[in-house]
Amino acid sequence: MLTMLLSGGLMLVIATVVCAVLVVAHAHLAVPVDPRQAAIGDLLPQANCGGCGFPGCAEYARALADGRTTADRCTVGGPPVTAALAKYLGISLTPNAPYRPVIHCSAKRSDRLGQGDYRGIPTCTAANVTGGVQGCAYGCLGFGDCVTVCDFDAIHMDDGLPVVDYAKCAGCGACVRACPRHIIEQVPFRTDRVMVVGCCNHDPGKVVLEVCRVGCIGCSACARMMPELLHMHDNLVVLDYDQLTGHEDFVPVQAKCPMKSLVIMGKPQPHHEQELAHVAAVDVAHPARHSAETRFDTQNWRG
Amino acid sequence: MLDLLLIGLSAALINNFVLSYFMGICPFLGVSRRLDSAFGMGAAVTFVMTISGGLTFLLQQYALIPLGLQILQYVAFIFVIAGTVQFVELYVQRFFEPLYRAFGVYLPMITTNCAVLGVCLLVWSKSYNTLAQALTFSFFGGVGFTLAIVIMAGLRESIDFADVPAPFRGTPIALFVAAILSMAFAGFAGMGSQ
Repeated sequence: MLTMLLSGGLMLVIATVVCAVLVVAHAHLAVPVDPRQAAIGDLLPQANCGGCGFPGCAEYARALADGRTTADRCTVGGPPVTAALAKYLGISLTPNAPYRPVIHCSAKRSDRLGQGDYRGIPTCTAANVTGGVQGCAYGCLGFGDCVTVCDFDAIHMDDGLPVVDYAKCAGCGACVRACPRHIIEQVPFRTDRVMVVGCCNHDPGKVVLEVCRVGCIGCSACARMMPELLHMHDNLVVLDYDQLTGHEDFVPVQAKCPMKSLVIMGKPQPHHEQELAHVAAVDVAHPARHSAETRFDTQNWRG
Repeated sequence: MLDLLLIGLSAALINNFVLSYFMGICPFLGVSRRLDSAFGMGAAVTFVMTISGGLTFLLQQYALIPLGLQILQYVAFIFVIAGTVQFVELYVQRFFEPLYRAFGVYLPMITTNCAVLGVCLLVWSKSYNTLAQALTFSFFGGVGFTLAIVIMAGLRESIDFADVPAPFRGTPIALFVAAILSMAFAGFAGMGSQ
């Protein structure tokens, strides 16, 4: 009994002394913190994932309170958190154009020349390290790695060329990372439909003509028509999506292209929906899915 | 005087807390990415170790032993350590703001750093019986921790430029380096009688 009382008493004494020291220290040493920081922290998901580019939610809240960053960085919270942050901070939100993938290749199987007889592992990643699968060293290989990785069933193969279903696409960028030839790019969609350069071949026109029926030959006819939008870069025309206003008329420039490699991508128009439904019905039958049990794809990983 | 020197040398090099007792591994791996924050962490741990080593020695000597309450050793020591860490946290936040942010969660975690509690308990299991001995042991224990974490941070900064095989990148190679480092420190084993 005495031991118990002594123990309790001693711990009480220690606690009192420690508390007294800390109270005095706090009074003299405490750093004033911006009160908005805590309030902003309460609005954040506290996942501390670092997706915003800061070490954690607290650091992001701090940066926001100091006005060093923008309110749309939180990927976990998404638009609702952005709206809540903007409301708290009293700033107005301008809607951002959503980023969606476009495919810089428009050559279907019949358009690709110089195809070899490839009987290896049927993935783009494997075919990409093998020479001579097809003449074009830049364009789509058509084995559908992008289809395999898509978690939203938003990309399908149509005669060896991926077609994005923009109604389903969430813009996660999985296909962009999966493509071994880097022909898929995320671009801002300021309008429902944008023009895309359907080629990524940097070779001179003569070489392109030998490997593809629809590749950009670098004639720069289109770049002369829309000099502020289209630039020639390394034998290939490049569309500057930051300059796009959404009011351009692409019909003349598309008609001008001798190879027809300027294509329109985006939300399907009414008469496209039937075609898209047809493509989806034909091609998604048995896509090679990654197994849920292991991170190693049985096709990619051969010990 | 000679025995204090021996105690210091033993705590810092021969029986290094990290590399031969395997205590304080968490901050050793967590805060050893950059040299400057590693040194700051070492300094903070040394400070906490010295203060709490001295305080717990006095607590044990003048309260626990006379009252026959050695059973309270662990809980009372943790209490003192936690209080000291709170104090250090306030101090660092006030005067070393960038260091405070570099520490992040690791500063409050000194509270549960077993090297600090280890020092307080080892003072008794090694039967040091003067305050000078206890303070020397805990201060040089902290110096040894700082030495280990600074060497480790230097190595890891160099590893950033090395071509490490993919499966070993990050924590695995850090653990390999720590193991080789502790083998190097094992060369001191058996020196001195402490």
